[in-house]
Amino acid sequence: MDDYQMEEKTAFIVEEVSKIIKDSVETAIGENSYKHSRVNQWTTSVVEQCLIQLSKLAKPFKYIVNCIIMQKNGAGLQTASTCFWDNNTDGSCTVRWENESMYVIVSVFGLAI
Amino acid sequence: MVTMTTAYSVFFSITLNSAKDVPNPVSTGFSLNEQGNIEDHTNTAAVMENTYQLGPSKQFPVSAVSDILKEETHNNLQEVKYEAQRCRELTLTLCEGIRNRVKELLIPRYKTVVLVHIGQLNGQGMQISSRCLWDPSSDTFTSYSFKNSSLFCSATVYGVYFE
Repeated sequence: MDDYQMEEKTAFIVEEVSKIIKDSVETAIGENSYKHSRVNQWTTSVVEQCLIQLSKLAKPFKYIVNCIIMQKNGAGLQTASTCFWDNNTDGSCTVRWENESMYVIVSVFGLAI
Repeated sequence: MVTMTTAYSVFFSITLNSAKDVPNPVSTGFSLNEQGNIEDHTNTAAVMENTYQLGPSKQFPVSAVSDILKEETHNNLQEVKYEAQRCRELTLTLCEGIRNRVKELLIPRYKTVVLVHIGQLNGQGMQISSRCLWDPSSDTFTSYSFKNSSLFCSATVYGVYFE
């Protein structure tokens, strides 16, 4: 039982992280429409909010947070990632979010120390 | 004082002898115990000795990795026109190619994350940003952007030290 709790405390829980990502995207962007001058501010605040919330989980992880904001005008975008790490402890979570005028893709990688 | 030094020398000779008797218990899967019986280690987890190593013995080779990024993107994307299906496969082959080549550099104790984006050039606005919670003295990243007439590609490799 103790072991189980230890694992819970130190594991990378995807649901938890994806909720953090969604919340920070919602609060940073919400229903705003794409405006070139504000994109810089949005990406910064999404990434920063995610990191602040992740660090509040107080888990032994190093985090990488990557955020893409792209205007919707019919252009395509593909992303992929590969990792060389310990599958038992490390994890990743990617969230795709969109509103009428833009796509937002946020990827979080958690690497156990 | 004299007794202390002898005590030390005895201790050292014992450790040296035992190291000679059991050359490589972890890789063989069994070893001889004091009575000469074979002990099976296959089911028990290998207990590693402490290394007392506090930092990376070799830093993440940023320039070598960025050369790999440059080569891989140029080789794969030079003459490619944007097509959704084709680019989906290309992101994966690029990712795997880069990861395998970074693995071949044999960087001890580093975990790597490879992230590749390929997008169509259609006059749209776009921004990619990333931020990390890590130890800047050992962890690092390198990124390369490539563009041809119909698509752009951004490839990033993060190297994270594993203690």
